[in-house]
Amino acid sequence: MELAPVFAWFYGLLESLGLGDTLNEIISEAILALVVFGFLSLVALFLVWWERKISAHVQQRFGPMMTGWHGVIQTIADAVKLLQKEDITPSLADRGVFFWAPVICFVAAFAAYVVMPFGKDLIVADLNVGILYIIAITTFTVISLLMAGWGSNNKYALLGGMRSAAQVVSYEVPLALSVLGVVMVSGSMSMNEIVKSQAGWAGFHWNIFFQPLGFVIYIIAATAEANRVPFDIPEAEQELVAGFNIEYSGMKFAMFFLAEFVNMFTVSAIAATIFLGGWNGPFLPSWIWFLGKTLAMVFLLMLFRWTYPRLRVDQLMEFAWKILLPLAFVNIIYIGIFAKWLGW
Amino acid sequence: MTKQELTSYIQEKFSGEIQVIENDQKEPYLIIQPKDLHRFCRFIYDDTRLLLTFLMNMSGVDTKERFEVVYNVCSYRYKLRLYFKILIPYDKAEFDTIRDIWPVADWFEREIWELFGVNVNGHPNLKRFLLPDDWDQGYPMRKDWQGRDVITLPER
Amino acid sequence: MAEDYLKTEEMVVNMGPNHPSTHGVARLILHLDGEVIHEIEPVIGYLHRAIEKVVENRTYAQCIPMMDRFEYVTAMMADWSFALAAERLSDIEIPERAEYLRVIMGELNRMASHLLCVGVTALDLGALTPFLYTFREREDILDLFEMTCGQRLTYNYIWVGGVAKDIPPEFTPKCREFLDKIDAKVDDYERVLTKNPIWLARNKDVGMIPEKMVYDYGVTGPSARASGINFDVRRNDPYSIYDRFDFKVPVYHGCDCYDRYMMRIQEIRQSARIVRQALENLPEGPVRAKVSRTFKPKEGEVYSRIESARGEMGVHLISDGSPKPFRVRLRGSSYSHLCAIPEICRGLKIADLVAIFASLDIILPEIDR
Repeated sequence: MELAPVFAWFYGLLESLGLGDTLNEIISEAILALVVFGFLSLVALFLVWWERKISAHVQQRFGPMMTGWHGVIQTIADAVKLLQKEDITPSLADRGVFFWAPVICFVAAFAAYVVMPFGKDLIVADLNVGILYIIAITTFTVISLLMAGWGSNNKYALLGGMRSAAQVVSYEVPLALSVLGVVMVSGSMSMNEIVKSQAGWAGFHWNIFFQPLGFVIYIIAATAEANRVPFDIPEAEQELVAGFNIEYSGMKFAMFFLAEFVNMFTVSAIAATIFLGGWNGPFLPSWIWFLGKTLAMVFLLMLFRWTYPRLRVDQLMEFAWKILLPLAFVNIIYIGIFAKWLGW
Repeated sequence: MTKQELTSYIQEKFSGEIQVIENDQKEPYLIIQPKDLHRFCRFIYDDTRLLLTFLMNMSGVDTKERFEVVYNVCSYRYKLRLYFKILIPYDKAEFDTIRDIWPVADWFEREIWELFGVNVNGHPNLKRFLLPDDWDQGYPMRKDWQGRDVITLPER
Repeated sequence: MAEDYLKTEEMVVNMGPNHPSTHGVARLILHLDGEVIHEIEPVIGYLHRAIEKVVENRTYAQCIPMMDRFEYVTAMMADWSFALAAERLSDIEIPERAEYLRVIMGELNRMASHLLCVGVTALDLGALTPFLYTFREREDILDLFEMTCGQRLTYNYIWVGGVAKDIPPEFTPKCREFLDKIDAKVDDYERVLTKNPIWLARNKDVGMIPEKMVYDYGVTGPSARASGINFDVRRNDPYSIYDRFDFKVPVYHGCDCYDRYMMRIQEIRQSARIVRQALENLPEGPVRAKVSRTFKPKEGEVYSRIESARGEMGVHLISDGSPKPFRVRLRGSSYSHLCAIPEICRGLKIADLVAIFASLDIILPEIDR
């Protein structure tokens, strides 16, 4: 069952109240924001549980089993625990910067979902610069990491913040270039257009089949953007004792933590949308296809974390600038040639 | 080389007083004069038929009449081992450093200084090592050391 | 010139005694320039228990549990080194069965220690899963030990004159079962790590210990054999019955962390070979020579050494004929290795320091005693 008619029915109900256009728009957008926020919170809770279960089964153990059926309530228990913790600010920390860093991280993570196509006609605002907007917003995370590193007044946190800034900035470029390949083929930056251009051919029109190199580059750059292993230098536990979030406790730490998982969901959702065909698919409702493809990408990212060791910071940069970037250019050239000559 | 050959080779080649301790262990046991220590170590390190280049251990000993520092060296190439020591009287408790030949002796000597109170000539870094920074109860490994019965913890 | 205008300072960071990746309570004061290390100052003594002073007041039988605590990761070998020193100063004949049991327990302990080292090296570099896999195998070895002497970590099993008690009948089949699967499991670990490009990038050409540094700092054991110096006490200076077993001593020439890791993997396989041969040829007989409770060795001094998992473990024992040792000096290889760390890490990055510290297999109880 498609969800778009449900929202259309709600909007019709709102109109029948007769409050006037602007008030209608404000109320409906506010409700949409709350719905998206609620959905993402649930997703974050689910992903935390799922990560613990996947890591446990990879390591031949069970993971959370006691709280609820196979531990599903574990994340809620953790959130309640974090809410009860004392909120400590180091005495010599820069108070304003220290306070706003997790807020910015959280907001940036959620703001990307304004243009995410959750299903057929299920998009909050179909901006015609959709994908560009997402790339711009996800860069806000680096500002918050730098603020966290600086505001904590701690050498380890500073080192973590510096490393993260270097890493995210380096991997933005191959990320943007791989997305550029998709934009060239579909001719538009709007997310809905990109999804629609992959319809048909029983699934073989997905961009991954035409741009495998672009997909690989995107996945690698996305893992770096999401600060996941093998690129999790900013929070390398064994080297820097939790890096930039070393001084955060309680709710602020929970914000960083949840923002990391929402970020992971974002990059997986983008991968699903632009390379795997978005909500296209037979038989099942479109939002189930979207969720399924996104969760498959999330699973891949989680498997990376529990298998690979971590790269050193200069090796990471070298990889981004000397290997990924030239490959991304090759990708663009090859797509340009094929798109022009074969008229994709 | 057997134990006997090794002992006689060293006694021949090294000009300095060497006493031999007779026992039935596998390696020769020698006693060197403290003033010959550095020269002896240089000799056994460089000599091409000995090549005793691994310094395995340095122990301080407080026999109740004097201090001794025991060195254990080993040769990888020729599978030789040597056990030699220097005798240090109580009233003139010092010996030369060999850290320019073996940098690891730095730590061994520092520990002997800290636990026995034997001065090391030429060591640049004699600081507290194993014992806590505010240790004020003397040199623990000496045989006449008495620990306190009641120890007060430092003020916070 | 930019250097004249920008006055940069060295940052002094404390990799304190509480740290997830210094193995035990080692404190390293790092002088950093950004990420590059200029100087490291190790501060030790956080685990100093004065073992050498305490054993001067204990009989030889009471010293053995103290030796367990000297190096608790390879406690069987620590017991063995002390028992060997005491036996060298006396005329005890060790029964054959006791010698074979000592070899079996020693080699199983070596395997357990190497499994721990490989797991922890992977953990420190971010590969979180091999740690759990190696600990799964280590649990099997610890179960075997628990079956024999009731303890999992500090065994008090190898006594002066033999071993404490005989193995139960269910030891041999369980041990054979373990040995049959260990080769496949080690292949598993290799499949995750050995050809992994990230693992290679983190470990190859990192932490080079050239030959001169091996001599300067007395680096022994797998770390020296990874630098091409084929120094194994079991071959250079054989003790016990190691000359009856057929095993290879692997040697690599790369001098870096990657070769030290490969050394440990190969040594696990070779130890399994030794245990298999020892189990097959295990003779019947008593497990302990007749040694009185107040065992008095002859007067004299001895420095006896064994090849432990980390290198040469030496016990310098001076006895004056009384039932208590006059002076015991314990030599652990981590002492020399930690002394070498400032020199090895000069000019490298913090991430490399973590890799090197783990690959040299430094454990603190050997250093602090």
